[in-house]
Amino acid sequence: MKDKIIISAKDIEVQFRVRDRFLTAIRNVSLDLYEGETFAIVGESGSGKSVFTKTFTGMLESNGKITNGSIMYHGQDLTKLKKEKDWAGIRGVKIATVFQDPMTSLNPIRTIGFQITEVIEKHQKLSKSEAKAQAISIMERVGIPNAADRFDNYPFQYSGGMRQRIVIAIALACHPEILICDEPTTALDVTIQAQIIKLIKDLQKELGFTTIYITHDLGVVANVADRVGVMYGGQIIEYGTVNEIFYDPQHPYTWALLSALPQLGVKGEDLYYITGTPPSLYNKIEGDAFAPRNPQALKIDFAKEPPFFKVSDTHYAKTWLLDPRAPKVEKPAAIQNLHEKILKMTAKGGAFHVGND
Amino acid sequence: MSAMTNRDVLLSLKDVEISFDNGGRKKFKAVQGATFDIYKGETFALVGESGSGKTTIGRAIMRINELSNGEILFEGKRISGKLSKQEDMEVIRNIQMIFQDPAASLNERATIEYCISEGLYNFHLYQNEQDRLVKVDRALEEVGLLPEHKSRYPHEFSGGQRQRVGIARALIMEPKLVVADEPISALDVSIRAQVLNLMNKLKNEKGLTYLFIAHDLSVVRFIADRIAVIHLGRIVEIAETEELFAYPLHPYTISLLSAVPMPDPVIEKQREPIVYSETTEEKTGPDYEMREIRPGHFVYCNPEQAMEYQKAAESIKEG
Amino acid sequence: MERISEDNLFEFATFDEKESEHIAAPRYSYWKSVWRTFFKSKVTVFLSVFVIVLVAFALIQPLQSGYSPTVAPNINNADMKYLPPSAEHIFGTDNIGNEVWDVVWAGARNSIIVSFVSTAIIMVVGILVGAIWGFSKKMDKWMIEVYNVVANVPYLLLAMVLSYVLGAGLGTLIFVMTCIDWIYVAYFIRTQVMIIRDREYNMASKCLGTKTFTMIVKNILPYLVSVIVTYISREIPGLISYEVFLSYLGLGLGTNYASLGRTISQYKSFMTGYPHLFWIPVLVLAAIAISLYVVGQKLADATDPRTHR
Repeated sequence: MKDKIIISAKDIEVQFRVRDRFLTAIRNVSLDLYEGETFAIVGESGSGKSVFTKTFTGMLESNGKITNGSIMYHGQDLTKLKKEKDWAGIRGVKIATVFQDPMTSLNPIRTIGFQITEVIEKHQKLSKSEAKAQAISIMERVGIPNAADRFDNYPFQYSGGMRQRIVIAIALACHPEILICDEPTTALDVTIQAQIIKLIKDLQKELGFTTIYITHDLGVVANVADRVGVMYGGQIIEYGTVNEIFYDPQHPYTWALLSALPQLGVKGEDLYYITGTPPSLYNKIEGDAFAPRNPQALKIDFAKEPPFFKVSDTHYAKTWLLDPRAPKVEKPAAIQNLHEKILKMTAKGGAFHVGND
Repeated sequence: MSAMTNRDVLLSLKDVEISFDNGGRKKFKAVQGATFDIYKGETFALVGESGSGKTTIGRAIMRINELSNGEILFEGKRISGKLSKQEDMEVIRNIQMIFQDPAASLNERATIEYCISEGLYNFHLYQNEQDRLVKVDRALEEVGLLPEHKSRYPHEFSGGQRQRVGIARALIMEPKLVVADEPISALDVSIRAQVLNLMNKLKNEKGLTYLFIAHDLSVVRFIADRIAVIHLGRIVEIAETEELFAYPLHPYTISLLSAVPMPDPVIEKQREPIVYSETTEEKTGPDYEMREIRPGHFVYCNPEQAMEYQKAAESIKEG
Repeated sequence: MERISEDNLFEFATFDEKESEHIAAPRYSYWKSVWRTFFKSKVTVFLSVFVIVLVAFALIQPLQSGYSPTVAPNINNADMKYLPPSAEHIFGTDNIGNEVWDVVWAGARNSIIVSFVSTAIIMVVGILVGAIWGFSKKMDKWMIEVYNVVANVPYLLLAMVLSYVLGAGLGTLIFVMTCIDWIYVAYFIRTQVMIIRDREYNMASKCLGTKTFTMIVKNILPYLVSVIVTYISREIPGLISYEVFLSYLGLGLGTNYASLGRTISQYKSFMTGYPHLFWIPVLVLAAIAISLYVVGQKLADATDPRTHR
């Protein structure tokens, strides 16, 4: 890769203390993020996707601790930062986060304008009127109609989608290098989701920040991501470019996630589905964490943790199926020839064809 | 298919209007002029975004919300408004609901056994204790859970398991109609498929009829026989599933369709969301009504728009 | 599971769909967690034992001592008056030659009985009325008016009138203490019920045809255990002090009942000459009220599932 690494997490382990027991939420996860890219982290709830990125901004809940590993960012190890003031120049400034529920990020009793200018004034030496002008221009930039008129409105006067636009505006007010989007559209309607994703992509093109996009929906990932990491049981189990993950997935869990999408369903037939629940992270996980839910698991999956096997220079997967000794297992029928299938669905006459051509 | 061959109407909404008091000020009309029939044995989907009134309609059928106009008929009998105790209990048995958020809709302080038995207790649908336990075990098994789960509490389960408990307790009543209010939208994508499959399986086994409320067209394409698209309290388009996807006519339906994310990076990166806004296109007025554009395919429009939609449908047909 | 050896490592394992439905986490039981949380702190355990012993002693000791405020066997024996605390007379003796030890425990016994019985009545009536009140929109309209009237009755005036009319006795005092307080509990419960009444799980119960009464018992009250315990833990020591206060003013128990309040009132004139006479009943009162309160608060904390970690 010719690109420059902007942040590098190595062997991160995170533990939580819950009811006198220890829960290992992240199990030795490493990730290099390249400048300007969008890296999507996909996983179901409890996979650790949010917890992992919270370590980048020191926002773990008080009962959680990074127990191993390092996060190198501009020559500084972020895992060594302990005090609030150490984070001052990083959290919200260099690394900003957009959360799922915009209402929790906004102060309900302050005007939208106040909340944006507050951030601008804190980090830039600007006069009141300059800050206001800049805030209005940011509001316009994130697509708030009549921004000047709506400057003095309160959060409750905005719709959910508009609030999320404001949260994005605040996150970008300090021109961060890294924007962490933690399920930013999960609480929003589908049509609004499409608009917010487009907004984030457009802003990224314009401002050049690096994006970490966390979601449980692979459909969204196809749209936003350059690279994808699939998380399961506190580990990244497969990563690669977005095309590699969709067209040539290797890990049975990635297969399952993709195949279970209702978009790929055929009426009258069962959807491909995953049984059971993610592993309990209280217990020590032996072997491949997905094995108990994988109908085609090998015996070794229960005994020994698979290493990362190299698929291509950019594509790695943690599954014994890539071992030369393993039997050949085909990916589920639903995702074979995925591109051709979707091409047919979105072409004229297909179920998801839109457009007036 | 079943909808085509067996056209007995199970539930019918006639010009239903539901309004809420907005803090004593102007009444807010959450639903206006909703008229549709649900046929026995079909899965009828109501698709719309937040604030569209889809959940309000579902709750009106469950008689949680009162109508301010119109009526709801079940098997030809009016079930909206005041009912006698006897009628009331009968309707409850026949119409059951699956809720959106399985975490919020189960009593956290009751065991799974109680949650599933609740309906049995209320209607005394068992001969003795042993019979009740047998019924609970069977209900658990039907949704893929284990007898050992009986003594657990809801919060010990995963989202998908909890939703299956929600399904089990509704179906133990042996209802005719099940109102499923976004039953999978609070679940992880990975377990949605299991719940959808289960709902399909149980429908076929028990001959159920579903009103499936959703915010997303990708799910209903898979599960529904007919679809009604609702926007800001108005049903704007009704058609059979294949028909709707082949000939999406109302601009809002098209906007919804364009927003479905496709799991294909090359294609998805080229797709542009089509934004629909009521303010730019006037979509209601005195001469607006549901007009049949193609056989069985209704769109809310005025006569001129009906002409345009007909033309649009023609051009799609010619390809 | 089948045996795994080196040479069959790459064979398929058997798969049981049901296997993944098992819940690995240990079983959760609300009440077990409550007691585990409660007994986790050594201080709480010590205090609980202390309270139980204190209350039990106060209930039993007077039966055995047979003390009655209407008899004073040593009233003419000057040697038995104003004795300081000693091994023989643990709390000393008072101005009429009675054992302060006996006087105090007899008083404490009545205070405790009055407060426990009153609290029980207040809570039962309050919870019942409040739960129905919270559910019924029709009832809410007129109950609010009842609340406004009852809650504004001057307490002391009522206590005075009632003790004149009904005569100062145990029953009267319990009536005085309960006839107003229940409405506060009812109002409190009504507000709590209204908060959780419209939650989705209650809507679900309604859709299953569950009757209001069953919903109160199964859906509402279990969620209110913590707030009810909190309320009780304030009410019991509060009423003990209140009994003392009323009796101190002469509005509580009649002269033929032992009472901590009247004892304190009678002994207050000896505060300078024989301070132990005044301070001993005050300290016993404080010990009972404070330890009951603290233990109650700990129990209230333990009943809150958020503390079950």
